Amino acid sequence: MMAAPGLVLSNISKRFAGVSALKGVELTAAPGEAMALLGANGAGKSTLMNILGGVIQRDEGVALLDGHPLDLASPRAARAQGIAFVHQELTMLPTLTVAENIMIDHLPTVGGLIDFKALKRRTQDLLTRLGCRFDADTRVGDLGPGDQQMIEVARALSRESRVVIFDEPTSSLTEPEKQRLFGVIQGLKSEGVIVIYITHFLDEVFATCDRVTVMRDGMLVSTGPVSAHTVASLAHEMLGEGSLAGDIPTAVPPADEVILSVAKLTRARVLSDVSFEVRSGEIVGLWGLLGSGRTELLRALVGLDPIDSGSIRLKSSGHLVTVTPSQLSRSTAFVTEDRRGEGIFPGQSVEQNLSLPTLRQLLNRFGLVDRSRERSLADDLIGRLGIKTSGRGQDIATLSGGNQQKIVFGRWLGSQPTVFLLDEPTRGLDVGAKTEILRLAVEIANGGGGVLLVASEPEELMRVCHRYLLMDRGRIVGELGRGATRDDLVARVSNRAVDEVLQ
Amino acid sequence: MLLALAALLMAMHVYAPAFLSYRNLINVLVQSSTLGILALGMTVVLITGGIDLSMPANMALSAIIGGMFIQNGGDPAVGCVIMLASATAVGALNGFAIGYLGMIPFVVTLATMSVASGVAAWLSEGLSISKFPESFFDVLLARIGGVPISVLVTILLTIAGTWLLARSIFGRHLYAAGLSPRAARVARVPVQKVTSSAYVFAGAASGIAAILLTARLGAASANMGTDGVVLDIISACVVGGVSIYGGFGRLYNAALGAVIITVISNALNLLGASYFLGLVIKGLVIITFIFLDARGKNK
Repeated sequence: MMAAPGLVLSNISKRFAGVSALKGVELTAAPGEAMALLGANGAGKSTLMNILGGVIQRDEGVALLDGHPLDLASPRAARAQGIAFVHQELTMLPTLTVAENIMIDHLPTVGGLIDFKALKRRTQDLLTRLGCRFDADTRVGDLGPGDQQMIEVARALSRESRVVIFDEPTSSLTEPEKQRLFGVIQGLKSEGVIVIYITHFLDEVFATCDRVTVMRDGMLVSTGPVSAHTVASLAHEMLGEGSLAGDIPTAVPPADEVILSVAKLTRARVLSDVSFEVRSGEIVGLWGLLGSGRTELLRALVGLDPIDSGSIRLKSSGHLVTVTPSQLSRSTAFVTEDRRGEGIFPGQSVEQNLSLPTLRQLLNRFGLVDRSRERSLADDLIGRLGIKTSGRGQDIATLSGGNQQKIVFGRWLGSQPTVFLLDEPTRGLDVGAKTEILRLAVEIANGGGGVLLVASEPEELMRVCHRYLLMDRGRIVGELGRGATRDDLVARVSNRAVDEVLQ
Repeated sequence: MLLALAALLMAMHVYAPAFLSYRNLINVLVQSSTLGILALGMTVVLITGGIDLSMPANMALSAIIGGMFIQNGGDPAVGCVIMLASATAVGALNGFAIGYLGMIPFVVTLATMSVASGVAAWLSEGLSISKFPESFFDVLLARIGGVPISVLVTILLTIAGTWLLARSIFGRHLYAAGLSPRAARVARVPVQKVTSSAYVFAGAASGIAAILLTARLGAASANMGTDGVVLDIISACVVGGVSIYGGFGRLYNAALGAVIITVISNALNLLGASYFLGLVIKGLVIITFIFLDARGKNK
């Protein structure tokens, strides 16, 4: 057999605790080619890439690069053979600087000590190439998730690579950052690097990739040139027959009744004079760049971050009553952007994850949790939310991201909150799961609740929102009505980016 | 773990027949009861992801305070309440510093340990407090159906505690806060309150252990809380599968762990091994179980 240039993965199989995650998968990619790897959550794409990156070991199959077998016994071994992995989950060391994080596995040395000059110079070169505006000496913990994502990319590019795997690289990037990333990918391609690109955003496939491979249920569904596809045909292949993404029912127009009124909320350097109202049945989109104060606003409302001044009034038995953030949190559901860190309790069952905020309602007359009521609450929510699990006793850590998110969302439903604060609730989810989460938001609004929704994708906001509050540097700088187009929204953000460059 | 215990007992039966005598077994259980109660308190703290090094010193200090009260003619029952209250107060101090002020458990309790054992030695002038009235021992050293009170108390506390941790709101909050404090905060768990309560429980456990141990020894002294006791408590917990990373652990397993640790000590004694060899073996047991804990976590 002739040694073909490029990457060949052949007949790769992997089982986890008796369950097949990959069944004889084939994947090939030529030098200079960008290959999109698509599939719903649980299709096996992350497993396949983790095998290629040496993170997990395959049970069967062959991996060749330019005809030579690859040693994928560890991430280090894979790295040494030119396989770089840009992880979706951030793997930063927050107390170290940007430069130290990027060069952590190959710090330049002089006489056995770290050569800080070279470290800084090389890092700064990389950052410039990626168009990042922060300094190599910045502590990573002081940067937002979008910047951290770019550092993750920089780390992969800091060494010579033959194959670069991007796993959902754009999920926390803003539009300008995304464009810069696409430029970097073009550069890699022209250098003959193989790019494997995992994403849930189908439009990105057309923007960056040459070929596309679709996986479903641990198997290869199709592989071919991107030009042979449309967004619809890709979505169809990803989801298979009968499980198309489905429509979201339109949210009914909100009532006139204001249920949440916020006035002049201020927190030094983070939020200033934020005032707005949310009406019953209304879904309000908070739109702005990362760091514009949208996440910070939600956290301040429920007391997770302190506020300096301002007032919050909440509808309570017919009147708007002034409440403190911690009082507001009692009638509020909050889904944070960080599902792993602030959402799930790994190691605990689906049931315990669901019942945690509503335990008080499940007490028997001895003041202990009534197990049968807890079970029926869990079964009820599992059914109502369509959570795919082997049972309420399953460890939440073993569920797919979409199902975990349904639990993090659904655990609030038992307490019937009036206000829902959703911060990037669909982050990292596949098309189908996204739709289901957004559908839940609409259901809540139609039931009379008020929703504040943060999303980085204008399409997502546009699917469900009644109006948009535009945020910038901790202020609300404008408002758009339901009729706003994607371009209207993007324009607000890109104008802002232009302003910043000019300054 | 029960298998390990059974194997240990079998081995003892072969090598030291005296071990399986009724007297010795009851003796082992009585010895494990103090350790068991301390392990229950430590487990609650370990579930939060913290540690309480001050428990033995706290136990000694409260035993001395209560013991001095009884020795000076105070009512033994009130003396017991004083022991419980003083130990709980020290626990509350730890809890406040760690839960509300965000101080590091290891350092805070190390400091409290130093303060408590210093005060204990100072109050008692390094002597043991004894000569308690008979009524003190009549109740605490009584047996019901041949089983000593201290053993019964430990069994009862273990069952009730296990039950409460699994079924009460506090218990659920405790596991959630230990597993992921950030996620717990978002899910409206009062993390500060829960964390500090854990140390109050550990303090109360030290107080109960102080009462039982004072009765058994017939005296209270600063020597009750040596460094070796901390080692035994932690050994009991980790042998009982309580995770030092927080979020996991069952009280009844920690109590069984206490029995295993006591059996090991007792066995080494009967086999004529030196105290120092005992320390080496216990240290190795801890490392082995923490290794298993770490492996479980990385899976």
